[in-house]
Amino acid sequence: MTTDLRQYRERAVAWLVEHAPQFSGAARHGLSFEQDVALARKWQALKAQHGYAGINLPVAYGGAGGSELEKVVFCEEEMRYDLPLVYFSISLGNPVPIMLRYAPEEERRRLGPPAIRGEQIWCQLFSEPGAGSDLAALRLRAERKDGGWILNGQKLWTSWAQIADWGVIVARTDPTVPKHAGLTCFYLDMKSAGITVRPIRRLGDERDLNEVYFDDVFVPDNQRFGEAGDGFKVAVATLMVERYAVTDESAYAPSLEKFAALARSARINGKPAIDEGEIRAAIAAAFVERQGLRSIHRRAMAAMAAGAEPGPEGAIRKLLLGRTRQRLGALALDLMGADGVYMDPNGHTVTHFSHSWIDPCARIAGGTDEILLNTLAERVLGLPPDHRPDKGIPFNRSS
Amino acid sequence: MYGFSEEVALSNDLEVIRDQVRRYLDDTVKPERLKDLLDQPGAFDGELWAAAVGQGWPAVSVPEELGGLGLGWPGVCVLMEELGRASVSLPLTGTAVTLHALRPTGGPEVVEGLSAALIAGERSVCIAFGEGGDAGIAAPPAVHYADGRLHGRKAMAAFAAVADYALVNARWAAGFGLFLVPLDQNGVHRRIMPALDNGRAAAALEFADAGACPLGDSGMGEEAVRKIHALAALITSFEQIGGAQRSMEMARDYALERVAFGQPIGRFQAIKHKLADMYWRIEVARGCALDALAAVECGAADWMALAAAARLGATEAYEFAARENIQTHGGIGMTWEAMPQHYYRRSRALALEMGSPVHWRDRLIEDAGFCVPTNTGGMA
Repeated sequence: MTTDLRQYRERAVAWLVEHAPQFSGAARHGLSFEQDVALARKWQALKAQHGYAGINLPVAYGGAGGSELEKVVFCEEEMRYDLPLVYFSISLGNPVPIMLRYAPEEERRRLGPPAIRGEQIWCQLFSEPGAGSDLAALRLRAERKDGGWILNGQKLWTSWAQIADWGVIVARTDPTVPKHAGLTCFYLDMKSAGITVRPIRRLGDERDLNEVYFDDVFVPDNQRFGEAGDGFKVAVATLMVERYAVTDESAYAPSLEKFAALARSARINGKPAIDEGEIRAAIAAAFVERQGLRSIHRRAMAAMAAGAEPGPEGAIRKLLLGRTRQRLGALALDLMGADGVYMDPNGHTVTHFSHSWIDPCARIAGGTDEILLNTLAERVLGLPPDHRPDKGIPFNRSS
Repeated sequence: MYGFSEEVALSNDLEVIRDQVRRYLDDTVKPERLKDLLDQPGAFDGELWAAAVGQGWPAVSVPEELGGLGLGWPGVCVLMEELGRASVSLPLTGTAVTLHALRPTGGPEVVEGLSAALIAGERSVCIAFGEGGDAGIAAPPAVHYADGRLHGRKAMAAFAAVADYALVNARWAAGFGLFLVPLDQNGVHRRIMPALDNGRAAAALEFADAGACPLGDSGMGEEAVRKIHALAALITSFEQIGGAQRSMEMARDYALERVAFGQPIGRFQAIKHKLADMYWRIEVARGCALDALAAVECGAADWMALAAAARLGATEAYEFAARENIQTHGGIGMTWEAMPQHYYRRSRALALEMGSPVHWRDRLIEDAGFCVPTNTGGMA
C-alpha cells in the first residue's frame, strides 16, 4: 500500500471517529423507516461536504474526483460503523455512475450533485418476473411515440424504488430480433404518470424490495442511454461499473470471533461446545476461508494500485461469504438450543445469528451462487458457456 | 490465464527459479518413470535427486555467501510448489528445516560438517514425527532418548527409505526435543512397506539403542518441536497447492476435449461448477499460504496459526481437486495408465505425512486463540 493511501486512510479514520457516532449505533435505535432515511440523507450530505461522497466520481458532477482505491479504503473504514448507508448503496453504486457516463453533459451536471449529496435517490429497474439471472429475457415493452417512448410492463426486486426519484431501466424496444439485440436503456422520473410501486415483504425485516408497474409511462427520447438496441451492453456496463464492491468480511453477519465466543459459553451434553470436533472444524474452516479472502483482497488492491483491472476476486468473495453466513448462522443457532428461535425485535444481522441466518439474500442478489460458479468456470478457467436454446432466435419466436 | 496468483507477493528472482524448475521438470519427468516409482515400495528417483543437487536446489534457502541460492523460505516454497505440480518427490523440506534448526545453535555443529553436506546435497534428512495411532504429534512421544541413544518406533515417514538422517521428536529427561539420527547404523531398522503412494520413499523407522544427537538448545522443548513441524507443514502446503493446481488444469483440459451428448463435457454445469469449486479452494489455500509465508518472513507473532490455516486450506484444496479430477475423467481416471491417480495418491500421502487435518484443526483453534476469551479477530 502506498504512503498516500495510508495517509488517506488515517484521515478517513479520524474523520469517521469525529462524525460517525452521531449517525450510527444508538443514534438509529427506535427510528421509523422515514426517520432512518432522513438520517441517511444527512450523513450523505455531510460526507459530500467533506469530499467523502462519490469519492471516485468527477468533481464536475458533484463527486470528489478521487481514485477507486480511495473509495475502497473509505468504504472499509466506514463499514466499521453501523451507519445508514443501505439506501444509497445501489443508487451511487450503479445507476448514478452509469448516468454520468451516458447522459447528456448538461443532465450530468444537473442530476449528479443532488444524487451524490443524498437529496435524490436512483434505482435500477432491471429484473422482471421472467428475467432474473437471464436479464436479456426481459419483456417490459417500450414503443416509439411523439419524440419519446411509451413503456408498459413490470419490474421486480427493485431496491428502494419506493423512495427513488430517478430510475435507470432496460426495456424491450424490438421483439423481432434475438433477445440481447432488442433492448434499450433509459433513465426516467420515478414520479412519472403511470408508475406504481408496490413494496414486497421479504422473509426478513429488510424493506428494500419492490415491484414496479408501468402503465403507458412516457419517457422522452433524450433520456435514452446509447442507441436503440444497445440496452444489454449498457446494462452490463452498469453491473460492471462498480469494479470492486467492498463488502464486510462476514457478509454483514456476526463475526467468527462472536461465533467462537458463543462456542466457549454453550454446552453440549455438559461439555463446552468449543471442545467438540464438529464445532472446531467449522471454526477452522471459516478461519481458513477468511484468511484466504483477506490475502486475495490485499493482493487485488495491490494489483489495482499497479494499474491492473480487477479479476475474479469479487466473485470468489461473494460466493464464499454468502454460504458461510448461512452455514455458521445455522450452527450458531444449534449451539443456542431451543432459545435459538428467539428473534430480538432490536436484533440486526451484524449482531444476531438469528437475523443473519434468516436472510438468504447474500446468495441470490447481485449474482446467484450458480451464476458466480459459471462466471469463474467461463472467465477464469476458459470453459464454454452453457447450451442456450434461444440463442440467435428472434425474441418473439422463442418460447 | 488464472487471473491473479502469487505474482504480486513474490519477487522476480523467485519467478525466474519457478520458471527454470518448471521447464526442467516438464522436460525430464516422464509418466513411465513416475509409474515405475509407484510400483516399488520405498521407491526413490535417485537420478532426479542427483540432477536437483547439480542445480543447487537443496541450497535454495541458504544465503549466497554460504554457497546457497539466497532465496530463503520463499525459494523453498516456490520449489516445492513446482515439485508438487510435477508430482515428483525430493527430500528438500527435510533439508530446509534441518538447516534452520541447526543454524541458531551458535556453538559447534551438533554433527560436524552436516550443514555443509546438506547444502551440497551430499546428505539428506527425512522428517519422522508421526507415531502409530496418533493423528498428529504424539504427546508424549513413545520414542525416547537417553545417554546418546534413541529407542522406539516412528510411523511411516517420507524419504525414510533413503535419507542419511532422520529428524525425530522424542521425549527425554528434560522433556520433549528434536534429535538427529544417522540412519545407516546397526541400531536403526528402516521397515519398507507397501504404501498408497510408493513414490514417497517411505519407511517406518525402528530405533533400538540407536546413536542420536539432541539438536542443541534450539531443538529443545515442545515449542521447538511445534515450530519445526509448522514450518515443514507450511512448506508442504505449497507442494499441495502445486499438485492441486495441476489436478485442476488436467480436469479443465479434459473437460474441454471430451465430448458427450454432442458437446464438450465442460459445457455442463455439473462439471463447470466442480472445476470452479476446485479453483476457489486453491485460491483460498494460496492466500493462506502466502500470508503464512509472509508472517514467517517478518517474524509475526501469529505465524503458527497462519501456517496451520495454510496446511488446512492446502490439504482440503488438493484432496478435493485430486478426487474430482478423477471424477471428471470418468472411466479413464480409474486406470493405472492415466495421470490423475498419481495426484490422487499424492494428495493423501501429503495429507498424512505432516500431521493430518484433524491435528491441524486443533492447532489452529489453539494457536489463533479461539479457546480463550481474548481473541478479537484483529489478526490481518
